[in-house]
Amino acid sequence: MEKIEPFGEGFVVALAPEFVLVVGLFTLMIVPNLGDAKFRIPLTQIRIPWFFGGSRAKFESDPRLPGLFATSFLTVAFVLATMSFVNGMNRTQIASGDNVMLQVDEFSRMFELIFYGALALASAASVNRMPATTRADRTASGLYNNRRQVDFYILLMTTGLGMSVVALAQDLFLLFIGLELASFSTYVLVSFMKETKEGTEAGMKYFIVGSVASGVGLYGLSLLYLWAGSLQFSALEVAFAANGMESLPLIALGMLLVGFGFKVSAAPFHFAAPDAYAGATAPVAGVLATASKAMGILGLLRVLLAVASPEATDGAAVWLVALGVLSVVTMTWGNIAALGSTNPKRMLAYSSVAHAGYMMAAITAIGALNWEDGHVNLSNDAALVVVTALIFHLTVLVCFKLGAFLVLSLLESEKGGHTLESLGGLAKRDPFLAVAMFVFMMSLAGVPPLSGFVSKLLVIMGIVKVALLDVTVNSDLSFADIHWVWYLALAMVINSAISVFYYLRVGLVMYFNDPEEGREGPLPAGRPVRLAILACLVTTVFFGVGAGQLIALCESAANALVGAW
Amino acid sequence: MAGTGSSEIVHSTAAQYAPFILLLPMLAFPIILFLGKMLNGQKVWKETLKEGGLIALPVMGASLALSLWLISDFIGAYGGVDKLSDWTWFTSSMWNSGVVTTEISFGFGVHIDHITVMLLFIASFLCLLINTFAVGYMNTDPINDNRNHRFYAEFVLFCSGMLGMVLADSFLWLFIFWELMGLCSYLLIGFYYERPSAAYAAKKAFLTTRVGDVFLMVGLAVLWDLFGSLDYAVVFNEYNIDKVAASNPGTLAWALGLMFIGAVGKSAQFPLHVWLPDAMEGPTPVSALIHAATMVNAGLYLVARMFPFFGAESMHGELADLAFIIAAIGGTTAVMAAAIAFVQHDLKKVLAYSTMSQLAYIFTGLGAALYLANTLDWHHDYKAHGIVIVAFGAALFHLFNHAMAKGMLFMASGAVIHEVHHAHHHLHPHDDHHDEDPEELLMLANYLADTGQSVFGFFNSIDLDQSGEVDTYEFQTALKKADIADLPPWDMQRLMKAVDMDGNGRINVPELELTLGRVHLASLAGDDHHDHHDEFDAQSMENMGGLASKMPLTATAMLVGSLSIMGFPLIGGFWSKEGIIANTWRVALEDPRFFYPAFCVLLGAGMTGFYMSRMWLKTFAGSPKTEVAAHVHPTNTWIKIPLFVLTFFSLGGILFAGMGFTHWAPDIEYGLMSDKGLIEGILYEMEHAFANHDSFFLVLSYVALFFGAIVGPGLALSLYGGKLDEGETSKPWFAPVLALNAAVKGRYHWDNSAFGSSGFATALENRLYFDHYYDLAMLKIVAAFSTKAAEADSSVIDGTVKTVERTSQQLSTKLRSLTTGSARDYILMAALGTLVLFGLIWGVVA
Repeated sequence: MEKIEPFGEGFVVALAPEFVLVVGLFTLMIVPNLGDAKFRIPLTQIRIPWFFGGSRAKFESDPRLPGLFATSFLTVAFVLATMSFVNGMNRTQIASGDNVMLQVDEFSRMFELIFYGALALASAASVNRMPATTRADRTASGLYNNRRQVDFYILLMTTGLGMSVVALAQDLFLLFIGLELASFSTYVLVSFMKETKEGTEAGMKYFIVGSVASGVGLYGLSLLYLWAGSLQFSALEVAFAANGMESLPLIALGMLLVGFGFKVSAAPFHFAAPDAYAGATAPVAGVLATASKAMGILGLLRVLLAVASPEATDGAAVWLVALGVLSVVTMTWGNIAALGSTNPKRMLAYSSVAHAGYMMAAITAIGALNWEDGHVNLSNDAALVVVTALIFHLTVLVCFKLGAFLVLSLLESEKGGHTLESLGGLAKRDPFLAVAMFVFMMSLAGVPPLSGFVSKLLVIMGIVKVALLDVTVNSDLSFADIHWVWYLALAMVINSAISVFYYLRVGLVMYFNDPEEGREGPLPAGRPVRLAILACLVTTVFFGVGAGQLIALCESAANALVGAW
Repeated sequence: MAGTGSSEIVHSTAAQYAPFILLLPMLAFPIILFLGKMLNGQKVWKETLKEGGLIALPVMGASLALSLWLISDFIGAYGGVDKLSDWTWFTSSMWNSGVVTTEISFGFGVHIDHITVMLLFIASFLCLLINTFAVGYMNTDPINDNRNHRFYAEFVLFCSGMLGMVLADSFLWLFIFWELMGLCSYLLIGFYYERPSAAYAAKKAFLTTRVGDVFLMVGLAVLWDLFGSLDYAVVFNEYNIDKVAASNPGTLAWALGLMFIGAVGKSAQFPLHVWLPDAMEGPTPVSALIHAATMVNAGLYLVARMFPFFGAESMHGELADLAFIIAAIGGTTAVMAAAIAFVQHDLKKVLAYSTMSQLAYIFTGLGAALYLANTLDWHHDYKAHGIVIVAFGAALFHLFNHAMAKGMLFMASGAVIHEVHHAHHHLHPHDDHHDEDPEELLMLANYLADTGQSVFGFFNSIDLDQSGEVDTYEFQTALKKADIADLPPWDMQRLMKAVDMDGNGRINVPELELTLGRVHLASLAGDDHHDHHDEFDAQSMENMGGLASKMPLTATAMLVGSLSIMGFPLIGGFWSKEGIIANTWRVALEDPRFFYPAFCVLLGAGMTGFYMSRMWLKTFAGSPKTEVAAHVHPTNTWIKIPLFVLTFFSLGGILFAGMGFTHWAPDIEYGLMSDKGLIEGILYEMEHAFANHDSFFLVLSYVALFFGAIVGPGLALSLYGGKLDEGETSKPWFAPVLALNAAVKGRYHWDNSAFGSSGFATALENRLYFDHYYDLAMLKIVAAFSTKAAEADSSVIDGTVKTVERTSQQLSTKLRSLTTGSARDYILMAALGTLVLFGLIWGVVA
């Protein structure tokens, strides 16, 4: 493992994707403002050109520029992160002295791929969502929309930056900073459409509930610091292994769970999520459901596994029962609530609550592993499998969940997408969108051979493997010996069955209902968003049929995390 | 489900490309269907692409080329070595169950051994030829116009199902493709779904084979339970078989027995044979496809696949009973089907029963071979080894010969039917005119007559916009009003076309008046003409005769094919049939139970000789029985090509025998080609067939020959056929046959009408009442059960489902009402959640 001082030699190279984002941020701020303005030195007639303001060149005054910039910078960051896999991962730590701050490895890079991918797609899709008009359009809303373009994309970029800090952080405090950077950006993004009542209200509620959760989490963090004297993961790990059963760290752990529970929208901390998804524009809601969720899961993984596990109370982690109950409640709540939702965005929000439950079930399974001597190798294998499944799930979620939101975003641009009926007759109006949406729904429901099926199967198999681990060691199968986390897998299967109902209903409406009145014509064109949908569609199918490659990638990422224990 | 750790080995490039053998036709399926929908009726589609036929043709050609590459690779470089190539979906090390502890990977793999290679060649070769035939057959019949794309699409899907089943490397994939074929057979048999008989036949085929499939599925489940996998690599592994044999050999026997029932259904053996004759309702290429290239071979393939279980040392003697059952079912079907074939008048039905009977031969042969493999010590005894190999090879070789001959026979019969049909059309061109009058028009005419309206008055009342002409919409509204029909637009177009004489899309008064008048008159005049048309059966041999001079190539093909099926010396099926009979008798000498199938196959040989000769003579010899038969013309080139090719395949039977096809067995040590040269091999086979050193087999082979080549055909020669009409000439090679026919018939002619009117013949004509009693059983037992089940379904199951749905919707509403929209409530809930979390953590610690 290579160690680099902050801003020392190789710093920029190691964090190339993040620096691209930073450069992008500055470009977004500076370029649209460049002009021929001159600065007159006071009391003289000397005018020094300083380029900010004044009349601007044609290309930079194009209101579409920020969207273009943001999409390309995010794409470049995505490609750079991919390249680091292609060229062989160069694991690097950014540390001052013994204080490790950031760590670049397969795990963090994999999550960055998820973040950048989702954001780049959302950014491309937003070009249509918030129509930029030409300079000739001097109406108030036209001008207003044009001026807001840059704000929107800056917020998208800061979200990305915050998320990648979460992925890289080796220090709980740093992780929290990244988390908040991303969260604050999303709060604003949710309420970005401030003309609409729903947008403002949703953003406000999301912000209030989010701040409460963050506050609780931060309090937990400070308690931890009080107890251990450091927030380094490595230091916390040692401290927990020594005397993790003291009350102070346990209280802190509970509070952290609340904080992250909100981020992954686990029941009962999820209430603001449906409102936020429904109020935000569809691409932003898509980011919340994919990238933001991945960030929360990442935080949970880091905290619960790197910090609180391996922990020895009968071999299982302290938080095992708590998280297990939370996961079952979450997935059931999400699915049952989604059953009756008639707003597709709320329905997807609840479905994403359910997915959070599935993923927490997987993390619970890791908590059930026995790390005593003699079990370490087997447990390590099992943990690897589960984490692989988890990362795979998060990755393919970007393909189909975001894809579904992008389809809705096209409907939104004709003031639809808030009712199920507005999807009626989509198959006749726009066969491509209908097919794409149907594939996304099938994938969400977990129908083979789509990627959603593979991901669910991997998660369930991971849980079952953990549950059967002791049994396979003793090779004497008896039902009583199976660990109770097996029931989590069962709950997942039952929940998946429930969920098929509401996913299929979307297909039913699209293919068998007639279009709503006033919606018979074709949908708006929107080439970028259609390209983004196509990308989602292709990857949804491809990662299902050709899952092997992605699984291998996720396994290397999981190895970076699990191997570090 | 492909493979275990060992399946990574890929030996050759050919094997890597093997999945394309089935992928290409599978991809062609949507393409043809899609293009057909898009271009239907256009000239390019109809003329240039033959409605998809010329898309399917190169695809099947490519499949054959890839298959040949694979086969030559297998024979040449790696003969005798099993190879696997696979495409892995994903791998998982999750489950370690049962006997086998390996990683399970999900994907598709290709398993290649002797059985695969044999079936692969048969399937891909015949599919290509049948495709060629279909272009000449389907596209020249107006009844198929504008829907041939459906035929070709389903055809290629059927082929890919068979090819996939043969190549698959696990019983699971085998089952999947097996079912795919079941689906396609349903679609193709019911191709003329507007005919109730075709729809019924399709349903019957589907449901009857389904009975077997259920057993197959249960058998596979048991097998999975025993081995923890269905991959060939696992279940055929000797170590694994030993393990299972040590713990529960009886269960394995049950599993294989259940799987065999699936094969019985698919290969139409007693008692699940009832679907096969009805399957003739499909177009002739479909019959050829089902009977020669694909479906019925699937059952045989499945039984042949079981060889490793029977051959395993650890299972010694355990499976002998099952082998006997296989042989006995085969023997029973062989005689029964041959007897029914005696009295069939429909050309294709004779062939259908012949298929059933010949498949039964193969089952008997397989049963005998499996018995030998299971009871002889063939792993160590060189002589026993040879016996097992030859017995198994004979059965597989008969599969090959039968497929080639039967494919040719069906296509030839198709050519005959096609031409007879055309000749009939030519003679009675006006016959099918009335078919085009939609019955709605008759109803309309009757309606007008009943209500006393004039056509003119009616016309004015339906001409809503008073334009003087009626368009589709107006006509539709009128029909609805008159309570005649509420037709969808496409049906309306059909109706409009019937009325609209000038083809301008609208109807005027004279058009409507004329049409309705014609329809009315036709209905008053009665349907005599119409019925006459229906009565003429282009498939009935009673309407044929003397066709040898009209269709010489077809007649030649039929003759060679029939001789091959009969086991006439030196031609095709002779070599394999003799082998099957000899081996069944060999087993009978050791196990007296086998005397039953042994006598059956011996008797069957004579019966085959009779019904095949009868068929040929009734069709091609003698004088034409109807005016139509006298006006038949030779068929087109598309149809001739496959007949020509296959004639040589059947004639060349001796070459294949010499090449060691009788030594065809799934055994690694024993190469698939005998180590002799071609000439040496032929001499060896000749010696075995005609001058066996073992006097028992010497006598046996001559007895079989006597029955199959002298008694059976002799009887037929004396009863049917005769000289061609004066002035009719034919190819020189028919001369001896016809002369012999005339001589025998002249000298030994005897009256068989007594038999014809006997109760036994009636029973045979009614297919021994199987269908009758099956229907009865269905009606009494199944229908009653179904009614009860339907009741239970609507009240209990639907009730439960509805209740669950209602409750969960209510619950959903409750849960969602918790999302009040007020941030205060959200925080309250979060606080509650926090408390619960603390409680849970504290509970664990305390």
